[in-house]
Amino acid sequence: MIKLKNVSLVFQGGSVAISNISVKIQEGEFVYLVGHSGSGKSSFLKLLYKEYIPTKGEIEVANIDVSKLPKWKTPLLRRKIGIVTQEPQLLENRNTYENIAFALEVMGGLPEEIEAKTNTLLDLVELNENAYKYPGQLSGGEQTRVSIARALANNPVVLLCDEPTGNLDPDLSIQIISLLEKINRAGTTVLMATHDSSIVNRRKKRVIELKDGKIKRDELDGSYIVR
Amino acid sequence: MGKFTYVMKNTLLNMRRSPLLVFATIIAVLVSSFLVFTTLSARSIVQNNTLRWQSGVHVVVFLDDRVTTTAHKQLQESLNSYPEVRSVDYFSKPEAKEEFQSLFKDQPELLAEVDFEILPSSLRINLNNPSDYTLIIERLEGNPAVKEIRSSGEAIERLLSLTNTLVISASSFAMLIGFAAFILIINTLRLAAYSKKKEIKIMRLVGASSTYIRLPFIFEAVIESLIGTSIAVGFGWAVIEYSKNSIVSESIFDITISDDYLIFLTLSLLVFSLVFGLFASFVGIRKALND
Repeated sequence: MIKLKNVSLVFQGGSVAISNISVKIQEGEFVYLVGHSGSGKSSFLKLLYKEYIPTKGEIEVANIDVSKLPKWKTPLLRRKIGIVTQEPQLLENRNTYENIAFALEVMGGLPEEIEAKTNTLLDLVELNENAYKYPGQLSGGEQTRVSIARALANNPVVLLCDEPTGNLDPDLSIQIISLLEKINRAGTTVLMATHDSSIVNRRKKRVIELKDGKIKRDELDGSYIVR
Repeated sequence: MGKFTYVMKNTLLNMRRSPLLVFATIIAVLVSSFLVFTTLSARSIVQNNTLRWQSGVHVVVFLDDRVTTTAHKQLQESLNSYPEVRSVDYFSKPEAKEEFQSLFKDQPELLAEVDFEILPSSLRINLNNPSDYTLIIERLEGNPAVKEIRSSGEAIERLLSLTNTLVISASSFAMLIGFAAFILIINTLRLAAYSKKKEIKIMRLVGASSTYIRLPFIFEAVIESLIGTSIAVGFGWAVIEYSKNSIVSESIFDITISDDYLIFLTLSLLVFSLVFGLFASFVGIRKALND
């Protein structure tokens, strides 16, 4: 599902974000991408959805050769990927329902399709009762769930989550992880960047640890010990 | 249908967010288009009039009545022999009187006051090339049979030169205002793009195409440009219609302009404003949406 071969990312000015990384993630896997702040987790994810262009190497996501994909075709890649950021990025003037529906609206969906799909997603993230609440009226965990629902709107095959529990307390974080696992069980490949060791160690999943832009370790049923 | 509805809804939403800027933009486009429309129409009217005059009499030679009619006839024959001359008509004193009476038939007081004896006989010359009037004047200078020479060529040249100056001045002014409109459109779009920064970011994340993200902004610029130009063209047509029945048309000017030309001018301006809007939107949002 995700393949990186000798990928490096060097920013203008010479700072190295990713250094010669090669990794494969199979379809249906749930992978934690761990490491300290500045280890390259976000850059790694941004390379996958072509927010950053690698300095060298090959990237393949959902059978799309990202490294050779022209810029104008980036939307085609992003329709196959769901992206959840640390800040939920919700539109303040739209309620929960409208925030989720927005992703379908901008893809040109028909009103009846948008309504059906949005209701399904509200069910999935268990926010039916908050459908008409605005972001300001939702808790941090609820906002993250809205953001996850929106990321799933276009039925992505891969879900990339960049520290979605970064601003949440442990209980809410567990709820979000449970939701992501539920999505993973339905067949979506999940790659989640986090530096929260308690989450990683609570559920044994594949762990890829980054340090200074390099893969420090890649373990199935791994853990994350913060040193 | 869903996509079109979304684009239109967002276009109108953008316009509602900064109504004053939108209004200023439309006014600037309106003034600029109106100037272009009226100056080009005016030039066409002047050209029509001068063309009419140019096909008529180019030089009038007023004859000295103290000289014999034989001398007048000799002068006419010698003029006819010039290669530049197409025809020469002799206009006698009675004919001059008749013409004067016809021209001023609505002013009986004037006719009652005029001593028709002062009206001289004349030779009316039509030239192959109206611009050769200076050659004729030069050749006739010092001829004892000639009292005075009048030429329409000089007046036409002055009028055309004045018209050209006016067209250039008005066009320069229109370009200046057009540039202001261009800047205003860019600013309006940038403000709209800035206020929708988060929305645009989400659209990108979920895979909306660049064209789709840009369309509301492009539509906004084109709509503002087309509204301004349409009102300007409407005003322009109204001004021409009004002028046709006004005092201007009863003077030396005949306000004639073909409908074909006006339709061509209208369509050209509308197409230009469409391209103008597209270009302004391209420049306006290129940077804002690439960030």
